Amino acid sequence: MRAMYLANYFVAGCIASSFLGWVASLHPMAARAIAFLAVAAFILWGLCWLLDFSVSGRLKISVSDLQALLLASLAAIAIGAGVFLCS
Amino acid sequence: MQLKMWILSGTAIALWLAPLTALDKKVGWHKSVQGLSLCAAIACAVSAGNLARDLSEQQEIDEIKTRAITADIVDEIAVNAYVSQQQRQQEVETILNPVEHLERALALPDAEVERSELITQKQLAEPEQNGSENGESERAERALQLKAKGWGKAKIILEVWGVSKGGSPKYKAAEAEYKRLVEELG
Repeated sequence: MRAMYLANYFVAGCIASSFLGWVASLHPMAARAIAFLAVAAFILWGLCWLLDFSVSGRLKISVSDLQALLLASLAAIAIGAGVFLCS
Repeated sequence: MQLKMWILSGTAIALWLAPLTALDKKVGWHKSVQGLSLCAAIACAVSAGNLARDLSEQQEIDEIKTRAITADIVDEIAVNAYVSQQQRQQEVETILNPVEHLERALALPDAEVERSELITQKQLAEPEQNGSENGESERAERALQLKAKGWGKAKIILEVWGVSKGGSPKYKAAEAEYKRLVEELG
């Protein structure tokens, strides 16, 4: 059941990523905003990956959990964006 | 609850993939439908995730309860076993009362020696009460028994007359009586 709830949140992340792509397709300004958001998210992701020990201590989770979370979020964004772009 | 979660998960995936693949992005109302379906899909997925998390927590609580119940049962069985063992021990101690202990002790090989010592002491303590002939014959019988078992003279005298070896008059008298009895009966 724990795997099921993790999978559901992962799917929610994928759908949210597709939704952001859909928002970006509405207007060029929206696309720029989403692009800026994506770059910011990517920088934040990289910082979290580099500062994993301090971030995991701040979030009170283990380093392996943080790394799993980062990888899962990257995969969700990639899958969501991929589904939207390929459709 | 679980069925609801599965339906919500399936709906989320369907609402995510179906409009994106089936509808055209260039048509205005198609795009609106895609947006709406994506919003609904997110809501379904998050709801399904929350439901699954609740179920998972419930499952963990049930497992903890089961473990606690199992531990209680094991503890109860262990206590019962301990109590029944104590009861059995008490019953055994009641059955094996002091009289039986004594009988068991007498049944041992050394018990015969102890018994003979008791008899000897009794004879020495009450020499006047028993007739001298009876005492003599008993001593003679006992001395012959011990001699037949291979006991030495000094040990027999010590055993039967209660006099240790030496130059004392008592020992000499006992030795003389021993020799006489052995010659007479032997």
